[in-house]
Amino acid sequence: MMLSFLLLPAIIMFLVSFSKNNKSKYLLAFSSFVILVPIVKLFLLPKPYNILSSYLVADKLDTYVLLVSSIVGIGVTLALLTLDKHVKVSPKAYRKFYRFFAIFWVGLIFSILANHMGVYWIGLELATLSTVYMIKTNYTPAAHKEAWNYMIVGAIAVSLILFGIILMYASAKPILGENGMEFDLLLAHAKEIPSPFLFEMGFAITTVGMFVKMGFFPMNLWLANIERASFYPVAALFSGILESAIIIGFFRFSKIAMQVNYDHLFIFVFVYTILTIFIVAFLIFRAKDFMRLFSLSGVEHMALITMFWVSGAPFAALLHFGAHAFLKPALFLSTGVLESNGKYKIAGALRGYKGKKGTLFWFLVSLFLLAIISLPPSPMFFSELYGFGAMISNAKQSNHMLAMIGAVLFLLILLSIIFYRFVAIYQAMKYEGKEEEKTVYGSELFALVVFAISLVTLLFPATLTYLKSIS
Amino acid sequence: MILYLLSIVLLVLLAPILLSYIKATKMVLLFKRPISIFQGYRNFAKLMHKETIISKETSAITSYAPFLVLSPLIVTMFFLPPIVVGSYYVSFVDAFTITGLISLSTFFLMLLGLDSASAFGGMGSSREAFISALVEPAMVLTIFSVSLMAGNLGVGQAGVNLAEHFPKEHMASFLFAGISFFILLIAENGRIPVDNPETHLELTMVHEAMILDLTGVYLAIIESAASIKFIIFASLFASLFMPFGLEFSAPIAILIFIVKLFIIATAVALLEVNTAKLRLFKIPNLLGLAIVFAFLSLITFYVLGA
Amino acid sequence: MTDFLIGLFLASLIVALFTTRLYRLLLWYSINSLMLGTLALSIGKSIDDNAMIITGIITIIVKGIGIPYVLKNLSQKFHFVRQITPEIKVQYAIMLVPAILVFTFYLSEPITHMIHTNANYVAISISSLFLSLLLMMEHKNVAPKIIGFLSMENSLFLLGISATNGMPMLVELGIFFDLLMAIVVINLLFHKEEMKV
Repeated sequence: MMLSFLLLPAIIMFLVSFSKNNKSKYLLAFSSFVILVPIVKLFLLPKPYNILSSYLVADKLDTYVLLVSSIVGIGVTLALLTLDKHVKVSPKAYRKFYRFFAIFWVGLIFSILANHMGVYWIGLELATLSTVYMIKTNYTPAAHKEAWNYMIVGAIAVSLILFGIILMYASAKPILGENGMEFDLLLAHAKEIPSPFLFEMGFAITTVGMFVKMGFFPMNLWLANIERASFYPVAALFSGILESAIIIGFFRFSKIAMQVNYDHLFIFVFVYTILTIFIVAFLIFRAKDFMRLFSLSGVEHMALITMFWVSGAPFAALLHFGAHAFLKPALFLSTGVLESNGKYKIAGALRGYKGKKGTLFWFLVSLFLLAIISLPPSPMFFSELYGFGAMISNAKQSNHMLAMIGAVLFLLILLSIIFYRFVAIYQAMKYEGKEEEKTVYGSELFALVVFAISLVTLLFPATLTYLKSIS
Repeated sequence: MILYLLSIVLLVLLAPILLSYIKATKMVLLFKRPISIFQGYRNFAKLMHKETIISKETSAITSYAPFLVLSPLIVTMFFLPPIVVGSYYVSFVDAFTITGLISLSTFFLMLLGLDSASAFGGMGSSREAFISALVEPAMVLTIFSVSLMAGNLGVGQAGVNLAEHFPKEHMASFLFAGISFFILLIAENGRIPVDNPETHLELTMVHEAMILDLTGVYLAIIESAASIKFIIFASLFASLFMPFGLEFSAPIAILIFIVKLFIIATAVALLEVNTAKLRLFKIPNLLGLAIVFAFLSLITFYVLGA
Repeated sequence: MTDFLIGLFLASLIVALFTTRLYRLLLWYSINSLMLGTLALSIGKSIDDNAMIITGIITIIVKGIGIPYVLKNLSQKFHFVRQITPEIKVQYAIMLVPAILVFTFYLSEPITHMIHTNANYVAISISSLFLSLLLMMEHKNVAPKIIGFLSMENSLFLLGISATNGMPMLVELGIFFDLLMAIVVINLLFHKEEMKV
């Protein structure tokens, strides 16, 4: 029952996508809000709540992630209404985009709620494959090529994840039998796993698969290329929903791995993420268009989230995750608007928005731009403060305090490079270039407002206590 | 001892029949009227009656190389695994000796090709050198791997051990060795994907190019050497990779062995009908595959014990 | 028997690495899947697991017959390049493939001590995973890359069968569902005539 309500907007979207009527898409803008009803219900229900026997279980963590990703889904649905006004898209491709978006959404709802490694993987694979076609809806040779690239890279990443899952299952099977794929049972029996090496190997392989999918260290550029070549809502979906699903998988797997061997997990993930941020900082410094800039900064933030999570600050990680999941799709959607006239021009991109709508738009975009580099009122500021604090206090108990302080300082230097670049770009957008008349449409403005409101909601005391109670 | 000598004589006698049988099978499959399987003997008899002419340009090598091509192969016949339990066999000869003897024969064949100083002879010899350089490592590895599985480095003893105790637990590496050895069988005997024994087309021939200048007795000797080489490989394949049926009484065991040889010949014939000849520069692909499989067999056995 | 089948599984994958023709590649993929299905059947029969027998049958039907057939049809419909020469030259591949095999066999040695049933299969499935990655890497054309992806799926399946004596039924069916979805998406990706706006 609960599940059918959760899937309802996606199913409606799938069905509507077959209708040839151009107006029918307006129905979706309203129907997508329906998903909030079961989620609010889930918040009120006692946790953990079994949605579909033990396969789909709602606990505090995944209810939060589901809420975040659903808000992103709503926002993207709203912004999709005016896709044809900003880019060239044939009606057939437009409908197909909706159809595969629906499949994508279904897959990720399964992934996020999954309490079962297999179900998690199936959802992820479904989402990956449907994204391939969403990229292809932009009928340019570049998008065609990137769709194939994504097919290959995504398939490799997802296969690595499955590979690790099988190894973890093999390690847990002697004690748990067929239930060895359930996260909660695995977490409860993590200490009893008979062959920890096997589990750790599986975890490492899964993690590498997830990191490849998030665009970490060796595979930094493919995500940026794909988001550049495809329509802008794809990028928003990537950063808002797909990465939520991947990061929740990482949260769950690493929770078990922490029980098995914390030190190995910490060193592995920490070195990997520092390396990622190191490279991404310089890539951002050289980025010359919005899409690349934002997708690279997405990689940076995902690295920060994983780093906070493994250094024992789940609160910081979740807050950072929520803020990033709202900010990044908002920025990608506004990129679509910014680039619709005067392609790829950074200088003066924010100038020329007149009237109430225009003023609100440029105000919101500059707000988001400054929030993503964690200027104080942004939730990211608090999460980074809290996260770095947790890293230091975590190291206090061990004897590599100095190394940790050095690492944090190094990170801060890298972050300041990114900070500098973003501020420079913001100033170029606002104060340089020519002024031209530009328009912004109501629906996408509404989506941005939804994101802004949810961002502010993150800072409410009630939200913060909820997030603190998750860990 | 009598059984041992008898089996060698039998194999030598069987050799031309086997090659003719392959040819006949191919002709049947191509809807032609097949030649008799005794055609090999007829050819031999015909060549023995013919006058032997040697080119004036040749040195002494041409007059004794044919015998040196044949004799290492005849010696190898004595080292093959037994075909009946209880028969005498030479147990201590290992993979290197057998490969070495076969290479010695190939070496003299190449000399023979070079000696006449014709364009074709040199070309054929260089091609043969190219192929056998790739065959030998794979061959040593394969026989070595099978010997390890059988628990004895001597090829004869390995054949006996395999027949007594078939290594079911090493089935995977056994299979890889089998695939590798079959590719070698085809390559070393100049069967179709590597060389076409039936044509005299200058672009494709390898074996025929080397013996283009020979006639009469010498040609008869070289042709019997080719058929004996095939039967050496076939009987090695039969005793190492189909090690069963040895424990019956002598006539039945010999019959089973002959049936195995004919099965191998049929497989070769089917392969020849179904594939086209590879370009010369594609042959490394095939032989590389053989080397990979031989190596794979060895490491699967060594590391995994599978 | 299972050793024999797993040997053929790895053998067909290695032969596929050296293939230069598309239809041959499809044939080797089909043999690879058939061996996998037969393996699932034989292991399922020996441990008396109905779920694995069902997955074995589905594997034979879908992967052994269905997917190669569909891909062949696609290749005729969209005029694929049928001569697929590997980017890695044969002489290097001859060295690379055994190197990968040795590496993976030693890599998985600690694992084989932990899994008691069919320990060697884990090593072979890990090495076949690497070999399918190599298959994806050594070709520039799309079709062999798809085959590489599919054989990667096969080796994961082999790992599932061998390391854990079969995953839960639901997961295996889900994997099949995703595989079919992948084929649908691949089919859609080839439609170039829709390129106009």
